[in-house]
Amino acid sequence: MTSPSSPESPWPVRTVARKVAEWIGRLGEVWVEGQVAQLSRRGNAATVFLTLRDPAADLSVPVTCHRDVADRPGLELTEGARVVVRARPDYYVARGSFSLRATEIRAVGLGELLARIERIRRLLAAEGLFDTARKRPLPFAPAVVGVITGRDSAAERDVLVTARRRWPAVRFAMHHCAVQGPNAAAGVIDGLRRLDADAAVEVIVIARGGGSVEDLLPFSDEGLVRAIAATRTPVVTAVGHETDTTLVDHVADVRAATPTDAAHRVVPEIGEQRRLVDGLRARARALVAGRLEQQERWLESVRTRPVLAEPQRLLAGRADDVLALRGRATRTLTHRVDAAERDLEHARARVAALSPAATLQRGYAVVQRADGALVRDPAEVADGERLQVRVAGGRLPVRVDRTTSTTGTPAGTTTRTSAGTPSGTGTGTGTATGEDGAP
Amino acid sequence: MTDTPGPETAAEPAQTYEQAREELADVVRRLEAGGLTLEESLTLWERGEALAELCQHWLDRARERLAAARPTD
Repeated sequence: MTSPSSPESPWPVRTVARKVAEWIGRLGEVWVEGQVAQLSRRGNAATVFLTLRDPAADLSVPVTCHRDVADRPGLELTEGARVVVRARPDYYVARGSFSLRATEIRAVGLGELLARIERIRRLLAAEGLFDTARKRPLPFAPAVVGVITGRDSAAERDVLVTARRRWPAVRFAMHHCAVQGPNAAAGVIDGLRRLDADAAVEVIVIARGGGSVEDLLPFSDEGLVRAIAATRTPVVTAVGHETDTTLVDHVADVRAATPTDAAHRVVPEIGEQRRLVDGLRARARALVAGRLEQQERWLESVRTRPVLAEPQRLLAGRADDVLALRGRATRTLTHRVDAAERDLEHARARVAALSPAATLQRGYAVVQRADGALVRDPAEVADGERLQVRVAGGRLPVRVDRTTSTTGTPAGTTTRTSAGTPSGTGTGTGTATGEDGAP
Repeated sequence: MTDTPGPETAAEPAQTYEQAREELADVVRRLEAGGLTLEESLTLWERGEALAELCQHWLDRARERLAAARPTD
């Protein structure tokens, strides 16, 4: 072994080169996975040079291999292709350059690619990067929209044209970068950082047209997905066709089917909004007007109710009552008066019938004693007693005189007068009246 | 006996529309039920008229405000 080097006895370059070669050789044969960054074949030179890049770490390493290894049938080695290489570290002593000497290159097949993406997806999902809880709502009408897309790409045009048509006031913060190949992911990540830092940008759209799985691979790049998860500004992805799903779609706040759809999601359509607002105003007005009309109809119905509309009916009712009552009162009164009159007449008739006046009129007379008692039997009166005789014309004071003899008939003799003159009175001679005279 | 309404000055009437409407409905109910003295019927009728005017006032005001708010469409 050579003695240790020192300033006094430095090693010659060849020693150092040999030692380095030795060290490097110790790594031995490895399988390494990466993306073909550059690929150069000089004419039919035996050796093919390429650089293998690690997309996640943005590092690369030179690789050399025999042309047959590179041109193995079935392996379409192209730039951007993902490959797995079996190689040994090789230190080219002459120029002191390091490279990997590949003895076998395998293309990472589509299945392999998808499997790889799936692995990354599960890993990130487990970390919760795709949780819906993390999804942020998009701003309603953002003033500035950040757009990360390929320069002059169809996707860019779709987003810009559609958005402007929908919401003329919108402005854009553009970030153009590669949307395919090894440094696409890095370009997008760079754009994300720049636009996210810009406070004016309220939403970021990552737009890319359709492409093969390989083309879209950068959009399933772990680094890019983490970058999106880390941005504060909401991110909308519009990558590939509607049917393609890349990992960015899972982490994005909103996944748009196409760049045009992204424009629809990001800005409202002004005409539509105006119609919406007008519709709401009309409905509000209709509701109020309807309620007003309903109340007016109610008031109308109440005011036409008879009790209000024709109060006189109330009075009329009462007036009729009064009229009826008066009628009844009058009738009752009349009846009563009539009855009273009739009674009066009856009474008068009876009085007339019972009253002595008529009898006296017919010539009878009534004899009363001093005390007014009626004399019905001569025996009741004493001789010489003063009596009163009432005749139709008036009264006659008389005295009883039984002295004149009348043929042996004791007191109480009766004298009959000729038929036809009812009165049997003696004038001044005290003879009692006869019992009955022809009336 | 319902209290006869205070003179409705030009300022905002004391009762809200709903209160006036409620009382008006009640007045009509009582008038229709009958069994009131003449004086009560008259007073009640007057109250009903006043309330109806009040409701009309509110509805006219509402109609004006709605028309005023009408955009020049």
